[in-house]
Amino acid sequence: MSKRRNSKQVLFISAIVLILSTLLLGCTNESKENSTSNKDMLTFAWPRDIGEMNPHVYNPSQLFAQSMIYEPLVSYQDGGKLKPHLAESWEISKNGKEYTFNLRQDVKFSDGTSFNAEIVKKNFDTILKNVDLHSWLGFIPKVDQTEVIDQNTFKLTLKEPYYPTIQELAVVRPVRFLGDAGFPKDGDTSKGVTKPVGTGPWILEEYKADEYAIFKRNENYWGELPKVKKIKIKIIPDAETRVLAFEKGDLDLIYGEGVISLDAFKQLETTGTYETSISDPVATRQLVMNTKKEQLSDLRVRQALQYGFNKKAMVDGVTSGLEEKADFILPTNFPYTSDIDVTPIDYNVEKAKALLDEAGWKLPKGKNVREKDGKPLEIELMYDSAESIQKAMAETLQSEWAALGVKLNIVGVELTVQIQRFKANDFELNFFSNYGAPYDPHTFVNIVGSEGFGFNEAISSYPNRDKLLKQIADVPGTTDEKERQELYSTILESLQEQGAIVPISYIKKIAVYQKNVSNFTFPANRDEHPFTGISIE
Amino acid sequence: MGTYILKRIMAIIPIFLLAILLTFGMIHLSPVDPAEAYLSAAHIQPTDEMLAQKRHEFGLDQPLHVQYVNSIIKICQFDFGISYLSNKPVWDEVTYRMPATIQLALGSIILAVLVSVPLGFLAGIKKNSGIDHFSRLLSFFGASIPSFWLGYLLIFFFSVKLDLFPVEGIGTWQHLVLPSVTLALPLIALYTRLLRASVLENLQEPYILFARTRGIHEKVIMGKHVLRIAISPMITGLGMNLGKLLTGTIIVEAVFSWPGFGRYFIEAIFNRDVPVIQCYVLLAAGLFIISNLIVDLIQMCIDPRISRKGGQHQ
Repeated sequence: MSKRRNSKQVLFISAIVLILSTLLLGCTNESKENSTSNKDMLTFAWPRDIGEMNPHVYNPSQLFAQSMIYEPLVSYQDGGKLKPHLAESWEISKNGKEYTFNLRQDVKFSDGTSFNAEIVKKNFDTILKNVDLHSWLGFIPKVDQTEVIDQNTFKLTLKEPYYPTIQELAVVRPVRFLGDAGFPKDGDTSKGVTKPVGTGPWILEEYKADEYAIFKRNENYWGELPKVKKIKIKIIPDAETRVLAFEKGDLDLIYGEGVISLDAFKQLETTGTYETSISDPVATRQLVMNTKKEQLSDLRVRQALQYGFNKKAMVDGVTSGLEEKADFILPTNFPYTSDIDVTPIDYNVEKAKALLDEAGWKLPKGKNVREKDGKPLEIELMYDSAESIQKAMAETLQSEWAALGVKLNIVGVELTVQIQRFKANDFELNFFSNYGAPYDPHTFVNIVGSEGFGFNEAISSYPNRDKLLKQIADVPGTTDEKERQELYSTILESLQEQGAIVPISYIKKIAVYQKNVSNFTFPANRDEHPFTGISIE
Repeated sequence: MGTYILKRIMAIIPIFLLAILLTFGMIHLSPVDPAEAYLSAAHIQPTDEMLAQKRHEFGLDQPLHVQYVNSIIKICQFDFGISYLSNKPVWDEVTYRMPATIQLALGSIILAVLVSVPLGFLAGIKKNSGIDHFSRLLSFFGASIPSFWLGYLLIFFFSVKLDLFPVEGIGTWQHLVLPSVTLALPLIALYTRLLRASVLENLQEPYILFARTRGIHEKVIMGKHVLRIAISPMITGLGMNLGKLLTGTIIVEAVFSWPGFGRYFIEAIFNRDVPVIQCYVLLAAGLFIISNLIVDLIQMCIDPRISRKGGQHQ
């Protein structure tokens, strides 16, 4: 009996020992910890794993990391200027269909092979193999031919003129260039690359999924050599933890959109121990009114709603000044958007009430919601429940409009549901924000014009809808700069004056960094990395 | 005993089939189209052709029952499919992240046992003493504090202020301390109370009186008899929690940037990455079944009366 018990005790104890030893085994692979006093390495936190470093795929690869390794032919700079990058110059034929690029000659890939017209064509051809996947980028489905003219001259021929081609060549994916050694055997990069070989200033040195990635600088970079030798990207999914890690000194830089809470940003700013900065507008937060819905089909109602809330107070209050009240539906630092002439609608409750009365929505005695033919003035606003700014703005609008006698019902949904309902035209009011640089203005305008994106039907009751859609369809094919500018002005002015798209605020990026970090600048391209020129003292 | 284990393992099959059906049903009841979720997560505005192509690629254009049967056939071959998001085999992604989660779960269970067994036992035999009051306080605290908040508090004091442990990440034993404590505290609260109650109950049993009259030393009575029987409900609780720990580390993994599969799973839910969700649910079901089985076996070892009862039924 006691012998049996003993053997069981032995079994039990050995089980525990086994468990303990597995645990300890797991702890033995110690990693090299870095400290931020290291002036050669900049440590940066990002919420998600950087993903596969393949220039021709999308999620889950992170744009900023892709842009560290791979470079475009053309780069997007402040104010929407398009500057030569891997292409030294380019010519566009009179008919707007042929693009000839003179490539920079001193460029080498990180493995030492040279960058030339052959490799440009090879990259274009693999992208075009998956043309459906990339068809969202306007010029890709229009490509007719890719040609190597000579070692340093590459020619792109389109089926029809499409002016945004040069601007679209600045995007982070998919038109950036992978070295020959990175191509898989069948030449199709959509299923993966063998090695992340690019021409960019950074090379991926070490990578552990979900933990960190270390980039070292490309010592043979053709452009200005980065000042820091390495960049470590720590994957920290939680925003509060990022702030705590930064306060402890584990991080040199926090950067991005919505990467830390507004409160945390304000708190870090007020300590005075750190540097903080806010970028130029990267996009506009818009409120979209579906004019197909009966109560919103009347321009006077749409205008009344705009007069009826204090935009500046709302934006300042909700975003603590991190966003700025917007007067235009696209930020004015984009191409063709700086010269839009619309009358801003200022806060004016009396005027709002008068407009509603005029539109037939009267306030019955003893009630606080306006009615017309016995129907109450009730509107639903859909917002992304994960986004605290949208939620707070929805609540503000609810209380502001209640004072006008408008009942606003607010509904929080998941982002994917929000997109789906918007596209199915199953909404009354919705929040939207445009894509930003380098995609706009043409992408935004195109979305408004295309069927199945929500806007197209949302502007149903515009009296000039057909004309507007025709103008939108005409813009990309224009070859004359002046004509193009006029078209954009007319389209954007009309969209805004008719009140279906209400500019709310300009979205901005934030950066917080330690005092020893200098020369931080926000990239003009919304998706690019922010490490150009950065240094640590 | 062999047939008993076999029987229990066979019971996994119907539970698995049900689990597949349930996840399948829930995913398809959700209004969100996985193809669309994939594309919008990539910040691209999907055209209809792209959606159709993605749906075809994911096999979502087939009738529902075909999709269901296909997924069962594949799972039987231990093929959990390819993640919609990363394009890599789900099983590889899960096994890559599994060790970290196991490490965290075991760390917190061991911590919980090391603290709650002596504490609960002492609180039981020394009722209303200082240690009993302390255990009560700890239990109230542990049971009522939300784990994410506790996590932030621990980081703030022990990492940012005192600089004793790292804020986040994995690698050394120091990295394991704060997340383990965060996960273990609610368990400590629970087990301490369980063990204390059970000890008190056992002290009323006639066998204690017998033992005392036989002149057996008090230490032996407590250590060898009371603790051994009183610990039984705690082991059951532990087994129930083993599955829960392995699947429920999500919040702690997010707070401490622990690269486990809880984090991976949360992302999969937002992206409607169906193969990953399915794999996770099956894994969770399997874990619960197996951990319950292990608990039953340990119980049998510790308290032979249980296996004898089982024998009588057979």
